[in-house]
Amino acid sequence: MSKCNDVLIVDDDLDMIEVIELVLHDAGYQTRSALNGKQALDAVELEMPALIVLDMLMPVMNGWQFAQAFRSRYGRAVPIVVATAAEHVERRRNGDITDVLPKPFEISDLLRMVARHVQLPPPPIVQ
Amino acid sequence: MNDRGADVVPGGVDPKALPDLTQRASSAHRMAGTVTAAFAVTGLMWVLFTDIVLYAISHDPVLIARIETAKGWIFISLASLLLYAVTFRSAARLDRVRRLTAAVVESIADGVLLLGHDRRIAYANPAAARMLGCPLDELVGMSAADFSLRFHIAYPGGGLVPPGRYISQRVFDEGGPLHYKVKLAPAGGGELVISAIAAGVRLSLGAPATWVVSVMHDISDTEHLERLRDQFFAAAAHSLKTPVAVIKADVQSLMPAAAPKQRRIAASIDRQCDRIDRLVQNLMVLSRSRSQTLELHPSEMELRPLVEQIAQEGVWSYRHEVRTELTGSPSIRADHERLALVLRNLMYEASRLSLADSPLTLVARPEGDRVAVGVRYHPLPWRDRVSETHGEYDDIGIGRSVAETIAEGHGGSLSDEATDTEMTSWLHLPGGTGAHA
Repeated sequence: MSKCNDVLIVDDDLDMIEVIELVLHDAGYQTRSALNGKQALDAVELEMPALIVLDMLMPVMNGWQFAQAFRSRYGRAVPIVVATAAEHVERRRNGDITDVLPKPFEISDLLRMVARHVQLPPPPIVQ
Repeated sequence: MNDRGADVVPGGVDPKALPDLTQRASSAHRMAGTVTAAFAVTGLMWVLFTDIVLYAISHDPVLIARIETAKGWIFISLASLLLYAVTFRSAARLDRVRRLTAAVVESIADGVLLLGHDRRIAYANPAAARMLGCPLDELVGMSAADFSLRFHIAYPGGGLVPPGRYISQRVFDEGGPLHYKVKLAPAGGGELVISAIAAGVRLSLGAPATWVVSVMHDISDTEHLERLRDQFFAAAAHSLKTPVAVIKADVQSLMPAAAPKQRRIAASIDRQCDRIDRLVQNLMVLSRSRSQTLELHPSEMELRPLVEQIAQEGVWSYRHEVRTELTGSPSIRADHERLALVLRNLMYEASRLSLADSPLTLVARPEGDRVAVGVRYHPLPWRDRVSETHGEYDDIGIGRSVAETIAEGHGGSLSDEATDTEMTSWLHLPGGTGAHA
């Protein structure tokens, strides 16, 4: 069962994870993080996120390997947004990848891309 | 002392032993004519003077007839001796030249192939055999198709070179010399990268090539180093991009809560992050271009969204009013990522070379079967310019050089158009299949 606004951030750079988490928290999303593809697979096994923001070049298990393993296990229900500094990722994009966000990115582009795939719950009604 | 100006060249070689390669075919005619004329004059003189002497000392017809016969035999003997001496001398000289030429070609460290008029290999030097890992007797007689099957000649990018496109074949039809860099698979395994040059051998100026000489220079080690440099640049660029991305995201997240002064500083950091990112991309393109490993991945694209996206980027707007002037919806076939870099380079150049607060206009329009994209700006007076001519290694110069490389890779070009008050840097590209005004 997944939470409707839970974003899993997979990146080997802790500062990158922190800033994305800060920005997404401020915008009202819940976040979790993993430092490589293998940790990310463990994280989705515990709980399925609504969106995965994925770096490509990581130790242990890189982004392509994670995307392939994830799709073969869980299908295409969860979108994967690749945030990477690698060149020509758009060209290598296949069915496993939903969107690409080249690094360095504008925060507004990150928020726009996340909002495209994850709907925030409506704010509580104040009586 | 001969006419070369020295009896002995450095290295102790007697220059008289070297063939005079500047001698032309006409000198052979001259030499043959001289020998023939000398023979004819000597013969005539012999006949004339011996006859005068003979008739002065004798009037006996029988004796005269016998002496005439002896004269004939003596003449034939002397002529035969002379002919032998001349022929021997010429043949010895030819043989010396032939052996010297063969020794020179065989001692060349580069591989040399000689192709005959049937376009097959007629001769290969030992270096070629060594380089290709193939015995000389197997190389001789090979056609371009045989060579392709045996050594799999490919461009640096990986695509096989069709046998008809080998420079050693093209030079027969196109003239030359022609040059290219290719890689091949020698018989012993591994990969060999060569720089090859082919030139036609013509018996007279303007005549078609009857032979072709192809020289192969092994540049595998240099290529290996360049590949390492390319990998280093790619790794360094990737490593640089991540911290830049973190800094950029950090300052952007600080901006909303910052005081006006801090917000201005944060915006400046943000712009410098964009500048570092663009510089890193330019250095990668430059490095790959120089090692001939730059790849473009073109696809059909609409120009309008890209132009609008670049016009909206905040890096320009802090100092200029950015406008767009789009005519129709021109489409092109281009590498989106690289084309964006070209436009950013042109925008950066325009922003550095223009008056503060003046407008920068991104223009895009179809031009027949081509598309023109440009950046129009109001240039600084010449004495205020940051750089009157683009230095090769300043960031404007690097940006312009990269833009030219990418434009040429797309079959396009860059140009500048100046009026009294405005300058436009144009990028001309072939239109896509769906180009329309």
